[in-house]
Amino acid sequence: MRGVSVIPIVALVAVPFVWDSFTAYQLGLYLLYGMVAQGIALCWGRAGFLPLGQALFFGLGAYIAGAGLRSDPGWLLILPFFALAIIVPALFAWLIGALVFDRQIGSGPYFSLITLALSMLGFQLANSMDWLTGGFNGLTGISGLPGIDTYEHLYFVIIAAVAVVTILLGYLLRSPFGQLLEAVRDNEERLQFFGFKTSLLKASAFAISGALAGLSGALYAPHQGIVTPQAVGFLLSAELVIWTAVGGRFGLLGPIVGAVLIGFLASGLRDMFQYWEVVVALVFIGVVLYLPGGIGSLFSDLLKRLGFNLSAVGPASRSVKLNMRDLPETPVVEFDDVAVTMGQVAILRGLSLSIDEGGIHCIIGPNGAGKTSALNVLTGKLPLTSGRILLRQKPITSIRPFRAARMGIGRKFQVPSIFPSLSVRQNLDLAIWSNRLRPEAMLSMIPYSWSPELLDDLEGRFGFLAKSGMAAGSLSVGQRQMLDFAMTLLAEPDIVLLDEPCAGLSTPETAMMIDAIAALAKKTGATFVIIEHDMQVVERLSDHVYVMHQGRLLVSGTMEQVRADKEVQRVYSGGTK
Amino acid sequence: MTSGALLELRSLTGGYGEITVVEDISLELEAGKVTCITGRNGVGKTTLARLITGSLKPSAGIITLFGHDVTGLPAHEHRSAGLGYAPQEGIVFDGLTVKENLTLHQTDRSLSRYSGLFGMFPRLKERHGQRAGTLSGGEKKILSFCRALAEDTSVVILDEPTEGVQPENIALMAKSIIEAKKLGRSFVIIEQNLTLVEAVADDALLVDHGRCVYSTTNRATLRRDLSARMQI
Amino acid sequence: MELIATYGLNFLYAAATLGLIVLGLAVVFGLLGVMNMAHGEFVALGAYSALIVQQAGLPFVFAVPLALGFCAVIGWLVEWSIIRHLYRRPFDTLLATWGLAILMRKGIEVAFGREYKSIDQALPGTVNLLGVDYPAYRILLMALIAALFILLFVWYQRSNTGSRIKAMVQNPELAAAVGIDTARLSRYTFIFGVSSAGFAGVLLSPLVRVEPYMGLDYLLSSFFILVVGGLGTLEGIMIGSGVIGGTDAIISAVFDKTAGYMGVLVISILFLWLRPDGIYARR
Repeated sequence: MRGVSVIPIVALVAVPFVWDSFTAYQLGLYLLYGMVAQGIALCWGRAGFLPLGQALFFGLGAYIAGAGLRSDPGWLLILPFFALAIIVPALFAWLIGALVFDRQIGSGPYFSLITLALSMLGFQLANSMDWLTGGFNGLTGISGLPGIDTYEHLYFVIIAAVAVVTILLGYLLRSPFGQLLEAVRDNEERLQFFGFKTSLLKASAFAISGALAGLSGALYAPHQGIVTPQAVGFLLSAELVIWTAVGGRFGLLGPIVGAVLIGFLASGLRDMFQYWEVVVALVFIGVVLYLPGGIGSLFSDLLKRLGFNLSAVGPASRSVKLNMRDLPETPVVEFDDVAVTMGQVAILRGLSLSIDEGGIHCIIGPNGAGKTSALNVLTGKLPLTSGRILLRQKPITSIRPFRAARMGIGRKFQVPSIFPSLSVRQNLDLAIWSNRLRPEAMLSMIPYSWSPELLDDLEGRFGFLAKSGMAAGSLSVGQRQMLDFAMTLLAEPDIVLLDEPCAGLSTPETAMMIDAIAALAKKTGATFVIIEHDMQVVERLSDHVYVMHQGRLLVSGTMEQVRADKEVQRVYSGGTK
Repeated sequence: MTSGALLELRSLTGGYGEITVVEDISLELEAGKVTCITGRNGVGKTTLARLITGSLKPSAGIITLFGHDVTGLPAHEHRSAGLGYAPQEGIVFDGLTVKENLTLHQTDRSLSRYSGLFGMFPRLKERHGQRAGTLSGGEKKILSFCRALAEDTSVVILDEPTEGVQPENIALMAKSIIEAKKLGRSFVIIEQNLTLVEAVADDALLVDHGRCVYSTTNRATLRRDLSARMQI
Repeated sequence: MELIATYGLNFLYAAATLGLIVLGLAVVFGLLGVMNMAHGEFVALGAYSALIVQQAGLPFVFAVPLALGFCAVIGWLVEWSIIRHLYRRPFDTLLATWGLAILMRKGIEVAFGREYKSIDQALPGTVNLLGVDYPAYRILLMALIAALFILLFVWYQRSNTGSRIKAMVQNPELAAAVGIDTARLSRYTFIFGVSSAGFAGVLLSPLVRVEPYMGLDYLLSSFFILVVGGLGTLEGIMIGSGVIGGTDAIISAVFDKTAGYMGVLVISILFLWLRPDGIYARR
């Protein structure tokens, strides 16, 4: 692996000696674009959101560095300008990301269109602010880096920058931070229920891409000697995305390959015939249709076939034992006259109930009684219309899912919610990191070796959890159900909300799940709240039963009390399965 | 076309990409009969349903409906050939109203054919103007079940119809299936709830690792036989 | 008073034409999830159809069937060769249609050259409306667009096909299982979308400059209108066109054209950020 990665660097260094300096000049430019494309790939291929206006940060970096270089200063003055050229775009990107992602989950096109509009706006501003940017004619008279006067020398600086960036990015992708980004792409909502503020993760990835674009721009300024509004604009932004797509958005080197390849293809064709763009467009459509992973995926497939193991670093052994958290006290949850209305439909109409002791509580009730909705308001998935919810005597009205998780509420949904393209092992990692992984540890490899006490127990019960290399998406519905359950418990919440944990399980699997719930409730001491239809399950597990009907609490008590209740018999005959 | 079977599978095999999930499943379904397919999770039951209904293309084997080979045809052509389907996941159109969900397949768009089903499940009637996405999980299952039952298909595939449905509604489902049987309609029901299986099945297949490991046509001992074998 | 009437009519005209242009994009993006970056090129195709008709010396109205035919055939080919492989991969449709847009632009350049063309006014003269002499063709255009929107709205709400499209958009696998031929429905929806772009191109051709790169201008403003109005509803398109057209008109009148353009960008960004489902969101 190490040997393989040396080859391209040697080849790059040899270029100016083998070819002419014009080739080195061109290659240097394309490598700079490739570095921006690497940032796009980080956001798009890894974290799942596509920035469409990356030239904004590139141009910003270029203008800042260009302004610094105009006075032809020494290194001492240049370095702060270069630092600014990286930091300002990074902060700007972070701010955009934090603001936008805080309000919207998922990878919809809105973020992409915002970045596109910002880059168009940037172009207009750069064009009209003559006094600052030189306007339409651009910022001219930018000198080279001090002491680096030829294209060859600048070219070596660029190679060094690309190499350093690639190595750092490679580390980043392998770190917990990289895996969290992958999890965001796969199932952002689930990650929030593990207590991660995903908007900040995405904003950080975007900030890194902004920093890369800024750095490229800063080197672009001395490389070109001029910065025009085109460096900020929409067309360059679109081309950067195209290079990323063609080169491959999932890898590290793919984007660079894409930028260099299309760059040389275009410059070669441009001299040969008038409609060269047609060829580029056809290549582009072909890649999208037939090679969604880009050209980079061809190389990685080839290397794999030649026997190189690209993920040479195997999963770390779980060597750092983590003890179970002590529960300070039994958390008290109180619903006080809670109502939820969606449009015309009243889903909860004055639900009042309190869960003030430990053990296993079951919520039952006919279909449509509002059981799942009750859990949804508690975890911030549904907005509260009126009333209030108290957790440990504090109102938690309309909290966000990640806050609910940080307050010790764990949740398993009715439909199992996992990270399908990650391995079982990676799924478990994410759950183990829940509420444990501090921001600074996201860049350390140690969290991979964490081994909580509960994990052994869970692996003993659900054998497939130990088959760690399998993609979680290839598990059966029942196994996904069990994985989701295991993940919920690994986060060690004080309150465990389980929505139909036995749905879709066969009779023996149901028995297995019942055993697991009973044993783990005892072991962890957490308060369990379970929604269940299967009376066999309710009977076996529940210390306390709540019966809901039409958005309200009908009766609560032990199973016997509930069963004897006339009201309950009327609306809910509690039959046996 | 060896028999009078409405639906016939011969050595049906299929899966996702290179992974074969269902292997060599055969069955014959005659008019007015119910075949239940049961088994542990992850053994390919839902994949089988998707293969039969054309949502997934089989890699080998033959599906015939009323003597016509429909293997490899798209799902809507299976439907027009007379095969109804209530899937396990993604069971209703969340953004359409309950009424639109129920009438999408009809030309007259009235709810008249639902009077019997509405009698059993009054909640659906109460909520017919509401968007289906606002229903609870169990209510959606019932909606999906009613939709499949009210379509005028001779064969209906139901995938886990009782998941998340309360027991007395399951009993009502069984009742309406038995009524439909009397009219000559046939069902393939994928189900782990043996109560429903026992109530409606004429024969049953036990599937494991994508293969049929046991089949029975003895109604009297069906439940006991299946549950004994499912423990393994 | 007259000034207000003129501004009012100009605003209505701007909103109506924007709405017509964005209609096809809304259908293709809102219903099929395809970000058609070649949308503007289909508008251009319509405008060049008008040019062909004019060069052949035929009446202007002949351009409508010609444009619809052109766009339908190309739309069919594009759907068959590219789009149908990419449903539910919106970013990939964006990339592939970006390539398609380049191809179409170059195709137009080869056939008609790069220079600007102009289309003769089909209905010269003015009509007195609200005390203002207003170009007759513009008034006809507004009436046509209004009628088209009303018809479409009623059809989409009432017809079975409308419900089937909604069903397909929400849950394609289930839609197929209840008997809807989703592949065919998607294809027709796409063809409808690009043909309506061509139709818009014909109607607007006498009023705009016709050149191979004309599509790019329409593309971006169309996306922003969609965003402001919200996806998937005709009401949204009308509101979005009004907001974007109005912002542009007002700021341009007070400051200059660039300011108007920047105002549109800022409004769009605010909407994308704060109300991503648009003004007219059902949720």
